[in-house]
Amino acid sequence: MSAPRLAFDDVTGGYGSTMIVRGASGAVSPGEVLCVLGRNGVGKTTLLKLLFGFLPCRTGAIRFDNCPLGALAPEMRRRIGMTYCPQERPVFDDLSVHDNLTLTRADRRLESFRPYFARFPVLESRLRQHAGTLSGGEKKVLSFVRGLAEDQPLVLLDEPSEGVQWENILEMEAAIKEKTAQGAAFIVVEQNLAFAERIADAYLVMDQGRAVLAGVRATMDRARLLAHLHV
Amino acid sequence: MDPLVLTQAINVVYGVSTLAAVTLGLAVIFGLLGVLNIAHGEFVMIGAYAAFVAQWAGWPFLAAVPVTLLVCGLLGYVVERILIRPLYRRPFDTLVATWGLSLLLREAAKAIFGRGYHSLTIPVPGTLHFLGTEYPTYRLILIAISLTVVTGLVVWYSRSRTGTWIRAMIGNPELAQAQGISVRKLASATFVTGTCLAGLAGIMVAPLVPIEPYMGLDYVLRAFFVLVVGGLGSVLGLFSGAAVIGGVNSVISAVANATYGYFTMLVLAILVMWLRPRGIVAQR
Repeated sequence: MSAPRLAFDDVTGGYGSTMIVRGASGAVSPGEVLCVLGRNGVGKTTLLKLLFGFLPCRTGAIRFDNCPLGALAPEMRRRIGMTYCPQERPVFDDLSVHDNLTLTRADRRLESFRPYFARFPVLESRLRQHAGTLSGGEKKVLSFVRGLAEDQPLVLLDEPSEGVQWENILEMEAAIKEKTAQGAAFIVVEQNLAFAERIADAYLVMDQGRAVLAGVRATMDRARLLAHLHV
Repeated sequence: MDPLVLTQAINVVYGVSTLAAVTLGLAVIFGLLGVLNIAHGEFVMIGAYAAFVAQWAGWPFLAAVPVTLLVCGLLGYVVERILIRPLYRRPFDTLVATWGLSLLLREAAKAIFGRGYHSLTIPVPGTLHFLGTEYPTYRLILIAISLTVVTGLVVWYSRSRTGTWIRAMIGNPELAQAQGISVRKLASATFVTGTCLAGLAGIMVAPLVPIEPYMGLDYVLRAFFVLVVGGLGSVLGLFSGAAVIGGVNSVISAVANATYGYFTMLVLAILVMWLRPRGIVAQR
């Protein structure tokens, strides 16, 4: 086991005085995928927002490559090597697909996206369209490609497969495996257990803001996992 | 064409283009950041007083430009930092806060320059033979500058990287932040751009209007009418709003008198708010 890329310990936080996540801990190492599972409203998205600095941590610590992140702003977390793809409003609706992809690229060129267009040809055919005209699943694909193409050491994905066609979900799986083979780490929030089981190296199951179950995929008891996912 | 009609036609173009220039700063701040900057007129006033100071000190007219950029830039930066930043997405609160700011700036102008009117000599005197009629050179220069600045800003906004970033920030601030864009710095720069544009417009109109502490009121009202009529967030809206408000005002003022001009402008603004609340060129 190598040193973790991101480790969070006893993280508590939420909106205003309402604590959504209460004492969650976990870690992900380079080349690994950590899947955060749980029912709706148990704090999975809030956990990602805490990890990316959109919300302040009331307690706990987050370390990136063993360096404490403290109250570092989201835009700075991006600069030190983290990528975040949100669940809600994943793209810039008012910008073209092209501008969505190349927004922070100095050269605005699409060369580095060619391999992704091979996987998701729909994007290439929609480059000039406003991203707001895409379907929900297509927006997710756009957001996913934008995030992965940033080539960062750590990628946070919030329900990347939501509304996405199964064949594109399989392409997402392949793209994630390609990145982990190069050493990238992923934290993926998922509702889709079938997808999670294909990509996860480890699970973190949340319930009512707490991490109630954690472990590597190989040793995880599927029945216990399912018990936490269904009402 | 009858020279008199032609002169009136150029008057309308002049009215519309200067109105567009005066509105531009507010279009940036209100249209892009959603901040109802009631103190917009006072930033125009600062530009005009800067032109007055430059003349009083015996400097060349254009010396007012760096003075204005400095004063409006610094003031805009500080105001955004302490007054606007805590109030983003709270339109009514920003309205009250910037109203207070406008009172403060007006009183400051009274304290420094007194209540009286000041007027400037026109920096480029004389007339120019233009399309078979004589027209004041300075006004022709103003038309050219206004059109250039407005079009230039619009092209820059739609083509440049920063322009795209601003559109990204407006549409989805959280995602912009996630992609490494410092939303606070960008919003601050946008606000300062708006206040500086207002100041520059103030310099431009300074030689043609009486300079006094209350001059901003008229500008902020007309600028808001332009945005109400034209709609927010598009160039076409800015120009068509300026064309309708400025055009109607100039035409009615020429045919009847200034009071009827103002009256028609108000009626129009109310009609548009009632019938086309998103402005006359809104797509949706």
